[in-house]
Amino acid sequence: MATRLFGSGIRRREDPRLITGSATYTDDLALPGMVHAAMLRSPHAHATVGAINISRAQAAPGVLAVYTGKDTREGLQPMPCAWLVPDADLKVATYPCIATDTVRYVGDIVAVVVAEDCYQAYDALDLIDVEYDALPSVTNPAEAARAGAPQLHADVDKNQAFHWAVSGGDVDAAFKDAEVVVKERIVQQRLIPNAMEPRAAVAQYNQASGDLTLWNTTQNPHILRFLNSVVTGVPEDRARVIAPEVGGGFGSKIPVYPGEFITVFCAKQLGRPVKWNETRSENYQATTHGRDHVQEVELAAKKDGTITGLRCTVWAGMGAYLSTAAPGIPTILHGLMLPACYGIPAVKEDVYGVYTNTTPVEAYRGAGRPEATFMVERMVDRLAGEIGMDPADVRKKNLIAAFDDGHDTVTGLTYDSGDYPTALEKLLSHADYTALRTEQATARTSGRHIGLGLSTYVEMCGLGPSQVAGAIGFQGGLWESAIVRVHPTGKVHVFIGTSPHGQGEETTFAQIVADEIGVGADDVKVIHGDTDTTPMGWGTYGSRTTAVGGAALAKAARKVRDKAKVIAAHLLEAAVEDMEFVDGKYSVKGSPDKAKSLADVALMANVAWNMPADVEAGLEASTFYDPPNFTFPFGAHLAVVEVDPATGQVDLKRYVAIDDCGPQINPVIVEGQVHGGVVQGIGQALWEHAIYDDSGQLVTGSLLDYALPRAARLPEIEVLSTVTPSPHHPLGVKGIGEAGTIASTVAVYNAVMDALSPLGVEAIDMPFTPERVWRAIQQATKGH
Amino acid sequence: MELTASYRFDVPPATLWPLLVDPAVVASCLPGCEALEPVGPDAYRAVLTVGIAAVTGRYEGTVTLADQRPPHAYRLVVTGKGRAGFVNGEASLDLQEDGGGTRLGVQGRAEVGGTIARVGQRLLGSASKMMMDGFFECLRKRTETG
Repeated sequence: MATRLFGSGIRRREDPRLITGSATYTDDLALPGMVHAAMLRSPHAHATVGAINISRAQAAPGVLAVYTGKDTREGLQPMPCAWLVPDADLKVATYPCIATDTVRYVGDIVAVVVAEDCYQAYDALDLIDVEYDALPSVTNPAEAARAGAPQLHADVDKNQAFHWAVSGGDVDAAFKDAEVVVKERIVQQRLIPNAMEPRAAVAQYNQASGDLTLWNTTQNPHILRFLNSVVTGVPEDRARVIAPEVGGGFGSKIPVYPGEFITVFCAKQLGRPVKWNETRSENYQATTHGRDHVQEVELAAKKDGTITGLRCTVWAGMGAYLSTAAPGIPTILHGLMLPACYGIPAVKEDVYGVYTNTTPVEAYRGAGRPEATFMVERMVDRLAGEIGMDPADVRKKNLIAAFDDGHDTVTGLTYDSGDYPTALEKLLSHADYTALRTEQATARTSGRHIGLGLSTYVEMCGLGPSQVAGAIGFQGGLWESAIVRVHPTGKVHVFIGTSPHGQGEETTFAQIVADEIGVGADDVKVIHGDTDTTPMGWGTYGSRTTAVGGAALAKAARKVRDKAKVIAAHLLEAAVEDMEFVDGKYSVKGSPDKAKSLADVALMANVAWNMPADVEAGLEASTFYDPPNFTFPFGAHLAVVEVDPATGQVDLKRYVAIDDCGPQINPVIVEGQVHGGVVQGIGQALWEHAIYDDSGQLVTGSLLDYALPRAARLPEIEVLSTVTPSPHHPLGVKGIGEAGTIASTVAVYNAVMDALSPLGVEAIDMPFTPERVWRAIQQATKGH
Repeated sequence: MELTASYRFDVPPATLWPLLVDPAVVASCLPGCEALEPVGPDAYRAVLTVGIAAVTGRYEGTVTLADQRPPHAYRLVVTGKGRAGFVNGEASLDLQEDGGGTRLGVQGRAEVGGTIARVGQRLLGSASKMMMDGFFECLRKRTETG
């Protein structure tokens, strides 16, 4: 009996090379004749650019070239925005690769130096003299939207990049008839993604043939090849984009950036390979940030806890320019999810995308959905407090009942399948919620402040049907493709269009193929990230690699299986209808000893000495898979904290996550994804904050000043699951990359507010630093 | 960033004033000052090396002694830039007769950008205060020896 690999927690095959330092990242590349680029970035948040004197830099040791915006104006088209959300009065301001007249954030590029080595290039940056005339700047999105705020772009009134609205159901009636209304102003602070590997590019251009090879830290090499043709003019057939080992992205490596295109420009000009590798400091300033919402939220309900409506206004900071996919994040990926796992019957949201003098904002793990989940889950707890009901009971009262084939929301989505009450019940019973509440009450009598925070969520991932992509303004498709090729010895190459960068699909995809065609996982090699060898694909983000790419792969593998069955039938002199695929073998029904292995079939298919009539040689199949719907993972999380009111210190004592991503291909990898996601969400609640000062300087510009989560400050995360297959996915799987982050921030937030509720504290802006918590306690207890 | 400080000298404003506007004295007392050359009336080109937190930078800029009311007040306007970023600041110096000596008040604000803003911001206030203390301590010694 062959062991099924789907569902087995085999070790990640990626890890040996990653943990022994033998993986090859972009910065590890060394090409003959390679030279180095360094970018000069604006130290001003907003300024007009006057004369730029490059003569001293040009004369510096090792310097080959210095280019400013005037030099690149012809060769580099403005940066494209590729998510043109419709019906939103979208205003895409011109985003030059190198600024010419005006700089709009600290980090905007004003010149590039190319030198023989990177130290010479960085040293020469200091010799460029730029005349800046500082202008007033604004960094807070709500302030930037007000009349009289400094204006970033002459052709964009009130800094308003877009105004998008979504509504469903009768919101006005819901609020008019509401027995209870709770309101809150929530600040989703700006975050810095902090992928372990900063961004880098190496461009090699053959001036004779016009062929370009671009190695880049990207989550989506095919999209980069496409957009590179738009910006640098190198046609897609002449450009090969390779994402070698990519050290994490969390969304920050979805967009295309000026850095890689400037690198291409330099390589074209000089005819030598050019490497650019950003410093961590540049990464903080100029690699996209996440979140940055100011949200005003109101929830309408009945006194018995029934939620009847949600109304909100959001100011979403977009940064100085619209990054590649940015407009879709606080809109489509955010507002459509507001009915949440409760099927809220009336929802209305206005989202104002606002230009500010800050680093452009993009997707960051969860991308729009954490901000939506936060709003709803925070208001559910506020409602519970208002009506004196336990937050768990409010959730039980409102959760959509289990469904296995579709639930329509008022925002036009159809959730594929879900069993939200079971997830919550499992969470409450595993954590022993009742006992925790008793413990909390006892602790309070002795002056200790323990808090419990729940978060029940549903998210949309597996982006998504291409027809929907078109309707929501995504300037591309969202299907995926895969090729399964079986070699004469039965070893298998799998080529995929997505581009994993740490998530472990080289392992999980091998597991899928192994089961589908009857080989061992070690017989399957998964190849990705090279546009010359892999089929077209739309990239790794939105928890879509397994949900969409995995589906394409399963279908391609099944085509191989079908062909193998035909060949095996021929070799066994049986009818195809009499064949079956059992225990990884192609056998005649009822005669398991009359069987062929995949290796037997592959050898014959490849040598083709004895093939069935009308069957082509080779054993290979490809698929283009366009999903019929998104997938909708869900779950229920609980955080337990204790707050020391004397110091404001928050101690996260326990964290329990129940997630349902459908059947799990590799439960160990799922657990790892949940760990990482949960921790990033906890980071937002407790520590992380990208802060600009009044003049637009990023003051959390290094790992010294920006607080990342550390293992020592975290409890062991208890990871459990329920399994509700997606009805439309060939394997039933949904996606797990972002779920932890989507649920955890508000679970911790709710827990801290629960701990502080006896003290009368109602809201604290994240992160919960001891100072903020202590001040809020002092404020609330003043005069008591 | 805002800065406020006050210093006591044993000599009267009329004695202190000439030292405060003497570029040679200022240059020798300002920590890290490599050059202070006149470029116009009451305006100087300055070169300064300053280390704040992990960031050491060499800054070139101008220092202007504006709105002089000898021996009572002037406004110090500084602009500088270097590899570690830029600094724009101004400070009002106010000299009050105080029992035969001088009470010197400083009120200033500075805007910084670049690496020092990103990395050194938290230490900027205390580093500036330390430089200022050093400057006036040096000046006080001059009044004693002079």
